[in-house]
Amino acid sequence: MIQLILFLGVGALLLISLFVLARRGAQAEGGAEALLEARRALSSLQGELLPTELVSRIFALDDLDYVTSSTSEDVRALFLAERQRIARSWVKQLRRQIVSLRNFHLGSARLYARLNFSTELTLAMEFAILLFACGALDLALRIRGPYGAQRIVDTTTAAAARVCEISEKSLGFLRPGNASPFGNPPTARNSAAL
Amino acid sequence: MALPMRDRSAKRMDVEEAAQDLRWRTLAKIERPLDRLIYLASTRDYNTGMYYHDGLAARFNQDIACQALAECHREAFRELVGSSLKELVAQVEGYIATTHTGPAEFIAVWRGLEPYRVAVPVEADMLSTQLLFSNLKVALAVLEHHLIHRSTGEQVA
Repeated sequence: MIQLILFLGVGALLLISLFVLARRGAQAEGGAEALLEARRALSSLQGELLPTELVSRIFALDDLDYVTSSTSEDVRALFLAERQRIARSWVKQLRRQIVSLRNFHLGSARLYARLNFSTELTLAMEFAILLFACGALDLALRIRGPYGAQRIVDTTTAAAARVCEISEKSLGFLRPGNASPFGNPPTARNSAAL
Repeated sequence: MALPMRDRSAKRMDVEEAAQDLRWRTLAKIERPLDRLIYLASTRDYNTGMYYHDGLAARFNQDIACQALAECHREAFRELVGSSLKELVAQVEGYIATTHTGPAEFIAVWRGLEPYRVAVPVEADMLSTQLLFSNLKVALAVLEHHLIHRSTGEQVA
């Protein structure tokens, strides 16, 4: 009888161990996906959405001056509508990638990245500022057009650059050879404010 | 199959050399980024996305030539996206002059068919592509305005 109880006990222990191991495996798999997702978001921000040249080109005043001085009112209206569309698309993509990065920091980052409390607090503040700025920028672009929100554009790109810099440190161990095949090298300095 | 690090680095150097060769021998003669973009896009097979250039492939090999062409294509695209609207209008105007087509006809066809959509590199990011297409749309409108303005001026004169 005692032998049977011992045998059942060992069996139960083995089953519990198996269950715990299986759960850990699933967690690790999910964690790897979250890491890759965050890395993709960071690459997209640094390589595609924040390079100074691209942001400056979208909000370039010389284009507006050129259209105003050398074309008709119809062409100017078309230009403004096109730039507004592009600017809003930029904000939308920026917001999507920021949310993706924030989700990583809220969920998996503390498992991998060794961020201290003050850095986490700073990061939380930056995410809050950034998402608010994205909302405000979209509203300003809708109401005042692509050239009516330069200060908010500056604030948004500066906050996004700071978030990227901190995220870069927390994802530093997962640096692929070629994170951004198309854009500039992914350094937060590239994406500083205009 | 993944190449070992040393082979990858050697291949990278070959691609860079081939790209340099292409820039010196061929692309240097094509002044405008728009023309370079269209030329490089024309070396790409639309079904496979592979680039072909016999001279370059003979000097290096097909794989290296393909990568060098792709790299130069990305470069031309970046340059074009970074152009101001005024520069882009001048580039489209210059390109029209090389096509032996009337400007009005060219503008109508480019507006209708938007052939520039197939000239962007595969890896181009969405926002840069959107910006380029939007700028080209505006550039065509600017050129049409100039054309109407010019013909009205000629009629008055």
